Amino acid sequence: MGGARVGKWFVAIPMALLALATIYPLVFTTNVAMKTRHEYVLDRFSVAESLRWSNIEGAWNSVGMARYFVNSIVVVGLSVTFLLIIGSMAGFALGQLRFRGSRALFLGCLAALFIPFQVIMVPLARTMADTGLLDTYPGLVLAYVAQFLPFTIFLMTSYYAGVPADIIDAARIDGNTLYGVYRRIMLPIGRPALLSVGILNALFCWNDVLISLLLMPSADHRTLMVGVTALRGQYSDNIPTFAAGVLIAALPVLLIYLFFQRQIADGVTAGSTKG
Amino acid sequence: MPVGGSPPSAGSVSTTEPFAAADGRTVDDRSGPDGSRRARSRARDWERLAPYVLVAPAVLIIVGLRLYPLLLGVNFSFTGDGDRNGEAVGLDNYLALFDDPLFQQALRNVGLLVVLLPVAVAVPGLLATFIYLRVPGHRFFRSVYFFPAVLSPVIVGAIFNLLLAFDGPLNTVLGSVGVGPVDWLGDPDVAMFMVVGVHVWATFGMGLVVFLAGFATLDAALLDAARVDGASLRQVIRHVIIPGLTRTIQFVFVTTMIGMLTSMFGLLYVMTSGGPEGSTYLPEYYIWIQQGQMNRPALASAASTILFLIMLVVGLLQLSILRRTGRED
Repeated sequence: MGGARVGKWFVAIPMALLALATIYPLVFTTNVAMKTRHEYVLDRFSVAESLRWSNIEGAWNSVGMARYFVNSIVVVGLSVTFLLIIGSMAGFALGQLRFRGSRALFLGCLAALFIPFQVIMVPLARTMADTGLLDTYPGLVLAYVAQFLPFTIFLMTSYYAGVPADIIDAARIDGNTLYGVYRRIMLPIGRPALLSVGILNALFCWNDVLISLLLMPSADHRTLMVGVTALRGQYSDNIPTFAAGVLIAALPVLLIYLFFQRQIADGVTAGSTKG
Repeated sequence: MPVGGSPPSAGSVSTTEPFAAADGRTVDDRSGPDGSRRARSRARDWERLAPYVLVAPAVLIIVGLRLYPLLLGVNFSFTGDGDRNGEAVGLDNYLALFDDPLFQQALRNVGLLVVLLPVAVAVPGLLATFIYLRVPGHRFFRSVYFFPAVLSPVIVGAIFNLLLAFDGPLNTVLGSVGVGPVDWLGDPDVAMFMVVGVHVWATFGMGLVVFLAGFATLDAALLDAARVDGASLRQVIRHVIIPGLTRTIQFVFVTTMIGMLTSMFGLLYVMTSGGPEGSTYLPEYYIWIQQGQMNRPALASAASTILFLIMLVVGLLQLSILRRTGRED
């Protein structure tokens, strides 16, 4: 037994160091964001003299981070809402209702899951330009919905397939239409899956840079991540303000992670063990 | 295209064909015995059509904005750019592509990713094994390791831009022990390794939670038996964990490779912009540059098609290799 215990610590110490290496970059960035330029130039590592919010304020106000933040919130909010509505409708139909073509539709969805955005971005940008949706919020929301819908449907379908058919039969006997079953039974039952897939989609959309960069070229339509890439050029000689901008963009994700870590992990691992 | 034909056929079927048994038992009869027959049959029609109404928005979006663009893009890759816009040019774009040193570099870097793939899978696999065996602090490790996986590549790239800057903290530390300075992101021989390293740093937590979900399905009794029999950690991994987790390992291999091929754009864009000297190009970055900066969308489409083929080949290859090893065990 003693040997095993020593062995465990022998592993735990490198793992703790790795954990430190995982957290430290963010701690470092937070610390830098609290420093003055002078402090940073003098010593990269010294602890900031005080909790100074002026850099955060500066980044928030001066380069339009506030604007980008609002843009991102709007786009992510709309995208996730549409994804959940469309995805749960399709998931209910594909997971519970046997109808002609349902199997083929599900397989088509799975195939779409393996088409990366990079492969369709050129024709998609062209289509968006042709239809006047380029550089508009509806265009970007539509692109996000299209990008993450296959994953959403896949998850909702496997979740709803696990709901016992008896529940639906009972509801039908009670006089519910299919629409009633969807609204009164499937949506409430699907809440855990909807939460998980909603949070994941919010992260995907919030974190995206390629789609947004491609479809929202003008400066005041930028989403937050594109805004962060622009910061680099503007603040290459003012590292603390740059770090503050990065921190603003990371903060919502950090909060979501703290509250919903389990839901995120559930969504990420869906499909890895069953099927 | 395994998919192209099915969604439209489902749509056309909906008005003409008889329907599966499920609908027979579900006719809504609330209108009662004296309700008009027409109202009832209308309700029945609606019930029959309902599944198609439910999937219609999803089908429209997926077909219109994912499957159709794929075909459009492949088609587009056989036409010309600029003066030859719209003309059929055969394989010219593909020839130009393979002549372009930047695209060659992008393919070489894909090769590097494939070589590094086993490492990128083994690291989370090994860490998950330790966490599953309840190393002290395993809950904490799990939470911490997973965290960078939810950060945007843009954030991660920006943070490492700071850390790896020539006058940045890493070189400061190394300098204090008499090493360096190294131009981490400015040296063509080093930069790609740094970008890949940062990608692995940021995403190994993803593989980790997938492995842990796989472990949860593993028969704990088997593991206990092996340990009672005095099996070493290496033997346990070789004879219990790997055979028991074939499906999970497969899943991590495929998703990690897909991640490497399709989600490093943010890092490349922020950390190196493909440089120095084009040494950190990947196909996805090349597509972006040709489409957005060089205004050569047809050439970009050809690169897209190649990327899609690479993903297909890598996916099928890995699946077949893993299936074979799975059978041996």
